[in-house]
Amino acid sequence: MSHETWQEQLRRGSLDLAILLSVSSGPRYGLAIIQHLDAFTDLVVTEGTIYPILARLTREGVLDATWVEDEAPHPRKYYRLTRAGARRLEQMKREWRAFAGKITRLIDAAESTDHATH
Amino acid sequence: MQLTETGESRVNGYLFILERSLKTFLPPDIVRDAVREIDSHLRERIAAADGAPNERVALEKILGELGPPLRVAQAYSAERAVDEAVTTGRVVAIFTALWRVAARTTIGFFVALAASVGYIVGWAFLVVAMMKPISPHNVGLWVDDATGVPHQLGVLFPAPAGNHDIAGYWLIPVCVVLGILIVRATHLWARRFLSRWRERRALARMGGFVA
Repeated sequence: MSHETWQEQLRRGSLDLAILLSVSSGPRYGLAIIQHLDAFTDLVVTEGTIYPILARLTREGVLDATWVEDEAPHPRKYYRLTRAGARRLEQMKREWRAFAGKITRLIDAAESTDHATH
Repeated sequence: MQLTETGESRVNGYLFILERSLKTFLPPDIVRDAVREIDSHLRERIAAADGAPNERVALEKILGELGPPLRVAQAYSAERAVDEAVTTGRVVAIFTALWRVAARTTIGFFVALAASVGYIVGWAFLVVAMMKPISPHNVGLWVDDATGVPHQLGVLFPAPAGNHDIAGYWLIPVCVVLGILIVRATHLWARRFLSRWRERRALARMGGFVA
């Protein structure tokens, strides 16, 4: 596997979690989600591909979408977490932390072995 | 930024291509909603680009960051049928998704074929079980009178001469159990295949997320 492919897999694997985290504090519309992700990560490169993911998460019942007509000169589609979405987010956060912790411990162990041998 | 007529045409052209592409595989109400959302995204970005010295450059930058309309449409299409099948597990959705995948890959074609055979055989057992009480003399596990070897299972009109049924009404529970097992196993296998295909497809599609 090339380094680029590995990076792609990391990005892909974390994008659902990142989107759910973006709406965890309150409803956001598509562009606001993209801007929030841009502020913290480099996960979004092609903005248009976020919308199909939002549509999928809505279909799966993880997000709920509502059009708001009177907030801006153009309508905005707001996404918010459903109860099922909040449960999934909690589960994803737990799994992410556990996974990251294990990999960090593995890196630490490998580095301490390196230091000991040199 | 207030768009000129040329800029407006460029945006409308983008949305037109997106809509035409989405229409080939999505229901009209979902297409309308998707195009409306992308339109809203563009209008918001254009409004925020106030003060840009060159409309054409600013607009191409905005459209470039959004991605080509065909790629956006492809991102909507790639997993929709498969998503629905994996998420809902409905037989019709699984079947539709299998044949969508079959049209795109060789392995998908053979999986769809095998799944079709599985569903048909499973349902055939269930039909045999249902037909037994309706027409008991035409449904059975048929054995040749001369050789004593079973050679046919199912519904035969007329009942074959020189043969007799050895299963009797035991055929009903046996066929019900076999039918349910085969349909269920086929269904789970097809759903698992689609789920894996979706994961592979997602990885292949990730060109959109790569810097």
